[in-house]
Amino acid sequence: MTENPNVPVLCATGVSAIVAGDAGDFRVLDGVSLEVDAGEIVDITGSSGCGKTTLLRALARLLPGAVGTLSLRGVSAHDLTPQAWRAAVALLPQKPTMVAGTVRENLLLPWTLKVRAQQSAPEDAVLRAALDGLHLSDVSLERDTDRLSVGQQARIALLRILMTNPSVLMLDEPDANLDDASAAQVTQATSQFASAGGAVIRVRHQRTDALASRRFSMCGGQLTETTS
Amino acid sequence: MSGAGGVIVIGWWQLALATGLMVLTGALSVALKLGVAKQLAIATARTYAQLLLLGLVLGWIFGLDSPWAVLGVLVIMTGVAALTIARRAPDAPAGTTGISFLAMLLVGTFITFVVTGLIVRVEPWYLPRYVIPIAGMVLGNSMNGIALALERTFSDMDARSGEILALTALGATPWEAAAPSIRRAMRAAMIPGINTLSAAGIVFIPGMMAGQLLAGADPMAAAPYQIVVMVMVATADITGSTLAVMLTYRRRFGADDIYLERGYRPDSRS
Repeated sequence: MTENPNVPVLCATGVSAIVAGDAGDFRVLDGVSLEVDAGEIVDITGSSGCGKTTLLRALARLLPGAVGTLSLRGVSAHDLTPQAWRAAVALLPQKPTMVAGTVRENLLLPWTLKVRAQQSAPEDAVLRAALDGLHLSDVSLERDTDRLSVGQQARIALLRILMTNPSVLMLDEPDANLDDASAAQVTQATSQFASAGGAVIRVRHQRTDALASRRFSMCGGQLTETTS
Repeated sequence: MSGAGGVIVIGWWQLALATGLMVLTGALSVALKLGVAKQLAIATARTYAQLLLLGLVLGWIFGLDSPWAVLGVLVIMTGVAALTIARRAPDAPAGTTGISFLAMLLVGTFITFVVTGLIVRVEPWYLPRYVIPIAGMVLGNSMNGIALALERTFSDMDARSGEILALTALGATPWEAAAPSIRRAMRAAMIPGINTLSAAGIVFIPGMMAGQLLAGADPMAAAPYQIVVMVMVATADITGSTLAVMLTYRRRFGADDIYLERGYRPDSRS
């Protein structure tokens, strides 16, 4: 993909979606537009069920029936396969999910996929350093993921996606189930990713910090910028 | 009383005597208050009615000696089996009935005529006395394998919906996201066939061989038939379920290869 420094990393225009609710179908996203630049961290807040998670899924092209225009560094989503798009616009779901196996197998999972067939998987030394960097020194690469705490799983799921070096990182309440120490490590890793030129969108519900350069509130299927 | 080919014919009185065994079973059910006496009576009556009707229909088809009649029976058997699969695999997506019909038609036709044409070498090729029972065994086993594999595949995918979301978010294709469920389901579908192959002749005398022995056949003539039948039904089971699963798993994914979780499926929005 040819990079153009004058266009946002991610540009979404008029994103709408209708989902089924208890009282019938309703418009959960109503013409949402959002641009995120390289190195920028954007926070989205809002009440439970207002559509924050739905928006992230739409931006990852993971929402059935979503409409709107998406582009990545000026390249239309239509020109990229869904797999190539998701490899570049990476969503970390709120619930950390490990596949059965060891920590190593989980960290290397992205490189077992066809979309990264041309890339070489990181060596053990790189994986070890990455774990140490997120204060997971006590977790061996051979440990079965069934023996990880929720906080450890959340950080390993984040690490797994960070090591793929996406253009955009979308985090759905990344520290919702974490203690303060683990949440601080996730915040630090997110900050480092943005400092290296990555764009970040965070859906937040509980904690606040000073990382975000822009904040949006979601209500009635629409985004409103609250500070700049 | 003996009939043609050394078969001891069971008459109406003997059939009535056999019913006495079911009366004994029903009495046990009543005495132990199992609450199944009525179902037992209905099921027994159905067995009599269905098998006697089958005997009449097969006798009629055998008498017609027509390839079209044989092919018609095969299509009807395949259709009924496809409807049965749709009922036994409620987690499978819409369109499963048609795909199951196609999978069984391909597998059933291929295996049946390989066996009757190349192995047993019947003349003419449609000889109903051979083709219909063999197709019945092929379709019956194929139906069981397909129903089990489809049900396991789609219920496992639903159980793994969080993992499938994580995988697709990492860039997995539908096949890469669904493969663990498909492999588990295929293994589950194959195990009964493998167990049957392993236990044949030791734990039990398989049905076809038992039938031939009762009909007066030489055991060494009956054994090769049974071997062919067992290999045939195992192949039907495995190929049928593989074909059906491979043709259906993508129906759980929508446009942009998005996995359709329960809340996003048209059938869950009512």
